[in-house]
Amino acid sequence: MTTRRTEYPVGEAAAGIRARDGFLVPGGVVGDGRYRLLAEFGLDERANAHLWRAQDGQLRRDVALTLLVGEPGDTVAAANARRTLERTMHAARITHPGTSRVLDVLGPGNGVAPGEGLLGLIVADWAQGTDLIDVIAEHPLPPATAARLLEPLAAAVEQAHHSGMVLGVDHPQRVRVTPDGLLRLAFPGPLPAATLQDDVRGLGAILYLLLTGRWPLAGAPAAIPTAPLGPDGQVIAPRNLFPYIPYELSSAAVRSLSDDATGGIRTSSGLIRVLERAKVIEDVTQRIDAVEDDPDEDYDDDGTVWTTRRPNNDRSKRRKLAIGVTALAVATVGVLAWVGIQLISFFGDDAPSAGGPTVVATAPGGGGGQNNPAPPQPGEPIQSAGVQVFNVKGTPDNPRRASRAVDGDPKTSWKTDKYQQQFPALKPGVGIMASFAEPVPFAEVVIDSPSGGTVVEIRTAPSEKPGLADTKVIGRATLQPGKTRLQLDSAEPTQHLLIWITTLATGNVSELTDVGFVRAK
Amino acid sequence: MEQDAGQGAGKQAVPSLAKASGSMAIATLTSRVTGFGWKIMLTWLVGIGVVNDSFTIANTMPNIVFELLLGGVLASIVVPLLVRSQDDPDGGQAYTNRLLTVGMTGLLVGTVLAVAAAPLFTGLYVDGSTGKANPELVTAFAYLLLPEILFYGLFALLSAILQARHVFGPTAWAPVVNNLVIMATLVVYAVLPGEISLDPVQMGDLKLLVLGIGTTLGIVVQSAMLLPALRRIGFAFRWNWGFDARLREFGGLALWILGYVAISQVGMVVTQRVLTAAAAGGASIYANAWLLFQLPYGVIGVSLLTAILPRMSKAAAANDIDRLVDDLSTGSRLSAVMLVPISAVLTVTGTTIGVALFNGGATDLADAQRLGTALAFSAFGLLPYALVMLQLRVFYAMKDARTPTLIMVVMTAVKIPLIYLCGAVVRPDQVVIAVLLVNSLTYVVGAVLGQMWLWVRLGNLHSKKIIRVIAVSVLAGGAGMLVAWLAGRVLPDAVSLVTAWVTLVVQGVLASVVAFGVLAALRVPELRPATSRITRLVRRG
Repeated sequence: MTTRRTEYPVGEAAAGIRARDGFLVPGGVVGDGRYRLLAEFGLDERANAHLWRAQDGQLRRDVALTLLVGEPGDTVAAANARRTLERTMHAARITHPGTSRVLDVLGPGNGVAPGEGLLGLIVADWAQGTDLIDVIAEHPLPPATAARLLEPLAAAVEQAHHSGMVLGVDHPQRVRVTPDGLLRLAFPGPLPAATLQDDVRGLGAILYLLLTGRWPLAGAPAAIPTAPLGPDGQVIAPRNLFPYIPYELSSAAVRSLSDDATGGIRTSSGLIRVLERAKVIEDVTQRIDAVEDDPDEDYDDDGTVWTTRRPNNDRSKRRKLAIGVTALAVATVGVLAWVGIQLISFFGDDAPSAGGPTVVATAPGGGGGQNNPAPPQPGEPIQSAGVQVFNVKGTPDNPRRASRAVDGDPKTSWKTDKYQQQFPALKPGVGIMASFAEPVPFAEVVIDSPSGGTVVEIRTAPSEKPGLADTKVIGRATLQPGKTRLQLDSAEPTQHLLIWITTLATGNVSELTDVGFVRAK
Repeated sequence: MEQDAGQGAGKQAVPSLAKASGSMAIATLTSRVTGFGWKIMLTWLVGIGVVNDSFTIANTMPNIVFELLLGGVLASIVVPLLVRSQDDPDGGQAYTNRLLTVGMTGLLVGTVLAVAAAPLFTGLYVDGSTGKANPELVTAFAYLLLPEILFYGLFALLSAILQARHVFGPTAWAPVVNNLVIMATLVVYAVLPGEISLDPVQMGDLKLLVLGIGTTLGIVVQSAMLLPALRRIGFAFRWNWGFDARLREFGGLALWILGYVAISQVGMVVTQRVLTAAAAGGASIYANAWLLFQLPYGVIGVSLLTAILPRMSKAAAANDIDRLVDDLSTGSRLSAVMLVPISAVLTVTGTTIGVALFNGGATDLADAQRLGTALAFSAFGLLPYALVMLQLRVFYAMKDARTPTLIMVVMTAVKIPLIYLCGAVVRPDQVVIAVLLVNSLTYVVGAVLGQMWLWVRLGNLHSKKIIRVIAVSVLAGGAGMLVAWLAGRVLPDAVSLVTAWVTLVVQGVLASVVAFGVLAALRVPELRPATSRITRLVRRG
């Protein structure tokens, strides 16, 4: 890079100044005589701020002066200048190699004499080095150098933004290149209306300038050519001017400039990361072209994930790996589901007999007044010929489903209605009458029911529809959840057997899943 | 919506947000507890059976229709726009009025159509072919409950308006009032004599009317609760027709979000059909077990994540991928440390929880046990579920609505065949357990898929660190389970309310103490922020 220094008392810009504000000449004094002007370094026309190198007459050192020129009578200009001074005072708290230290901030009546034609004066340490404009005057910088140069300035902006302060880096002549190759904000003094966003935009503009030698924002000094605009009114990407510029840097510069909420870079930290990465990529490779030609580019760009861009083949490899892992996960889950279902079936088989093994309920002694010393011995099971709901009062309970209680299928069942009150409030009870092809001596009845607490009586009946009084109790038990085996105390043959529920389970409803009959030997 | 509210707050820097979120956490907790309370009341009073199934299915319908019509779009698009419209010259008055006019008119039309189509909804969600369900009763309930759509919509719109003005209290407390109204309804239902007649179903049935109208009334009251607050912020409604051009820029995003809802509903339809075809009580067991499943996530997950979510969306907005990944990783690890031990506790005590909470009134032991077993079999899905929710927020924060929808497609594609397999293989009354198991497994798929695609997009996610924390948490949870299981051998069988509560308390305390104890002994660093946050919450309370 060049280290040639040009001082600016000559040329078009300087001539303009003299015409307007004749008092600002090298050798003149400002700030109540304390600072002697040495050379003009630029003019920020937006605030009519003249940037001078000067000498502090008391401390005998060089300082950078930002002179806010204007008539005190112009209230708008005066207010703007006041605002700039205030903001500079706030920003003075920041110490960072990327910005010159502010030594003093002078205003009318406070260091600036009334007749000086100044609205304010910002005094900062003089930054040794080179003008930014001289650096890029011959040719634009290599991208990696540009990134390295800009980084400390971006870091200074980042630090200021962390404290909520605007640094004001949106003008090329306010920035200088130090001898150790860093950009430094040499003439602080943010514009009255500058925002954090303007700082980021300024950084982007400086990056654009370093890369292309052209200034993309409005208000460019006459010494610098302005950036060409594309047909859409946006500045043309640096990469379109110089194809060797990496896509990432080029796009970062353009994105920092844009106002667009989506896809734009809105924070300095975002920019810093791009710069860090760009520093590393010294050589500009063809790989970066591949990124742009990637057919998936739209997809990658639809969010604002530009910072994630890694070399492309890594990404497609990752995508393949992701699909592989996903397929593996799906397969694993399929296997797990199968195992789980088996496990549930295993648990499920256990569930109905959760109350433990089959409960044996013997009939209460002398249940039917019989004096039978030995209960009948159980023989083989017997199927009933038909079943009906046996009901003595009100409507029968689910009469069409009665057969479900004897079909041997544990999935089907017969249920009583749900009652408001326990028997015998509405009915004395309800039951199922099983009929057999011939009179059979019974030894046992096995009832499978989920309704623990149901009290069941087994009664013999003379006919299919007898009166309740005509039936005879030969067994009684309180059902447990699961299977309950009722031993009967009469082996007297009967063709009709009544399963009579006298007490309902909790909820005033009882369900019989299956009823099995065992004849006596 | 919390996230969007957070963004809005960032813009205007309202100082009371921290306080607001604290009292909001209490309100959210209260509304969850009361919401769960009335579900338990319902099972106690009505039992787990056809009536409860029918009511539960019919009660989800207005929610579904509302989500399809407006829900997702509202949260992700309308609210941010509402916040943005406050910068309009009129302070957003015109936009808000237009939103209300167009939104409510659309919802009114939607509600009328939905009520007319109630039998179709029933046909979609209920498979009555096996005679285990009662489609007529579902339809009858649906006629009474579907008008809720309009009031869900009104509530959502009004609370969006209030949140855009940083008024959070009424919107957080209104659901509590809704739950109280439903509880009162249930009391009336219980006091009334008679039964809901199932065959034939009569629309004039008094108990049916009470249950249906009372529930709808709850939502009406809930939205009416917001009106005074609205007046207080000086909002006056005026008819204002027209379409705001700003809505158009979100068109694509809205479509993907709608797709997400629609696809998740496909999974839901299949689930409900298989459940209703299998056995009576399936739908209500599913709903209650799912509610129990979500409870820990709702209390712990959400309160932990509300702290992280605004930070994440801020990082995503600023393109700060490092911070985004950092927050995602922290969120995942915190979730693992908190939720895995809870999964362990739920797995070992699930059946007991079912009995302890639901074995009473009209519900018998077997159904309560079935519900609890379903919870136990699905409890492992708690962490994957939380991760999926977390990843979803990250995708949305990156303004990517497409990937979550595609992930949902894969999850549903895995889920549907497995659920049909459950229906075909498992014993009918156990189908609901298998379905919940499959549900949790699909969240495992979703979590893996989400993590992989985030990795593709964001690069290193510190996944190894996350997996290590999950492994340690599983180890700790396993230790807790082992101890609780050993204790369970001495404890009485949970067959009544008393034994169930005794077993639950002993096993639950043992399992959680051991699990968190192991985590603390291993000095898992993620435990610290969680515990400190909880202690802070307790102190604040």
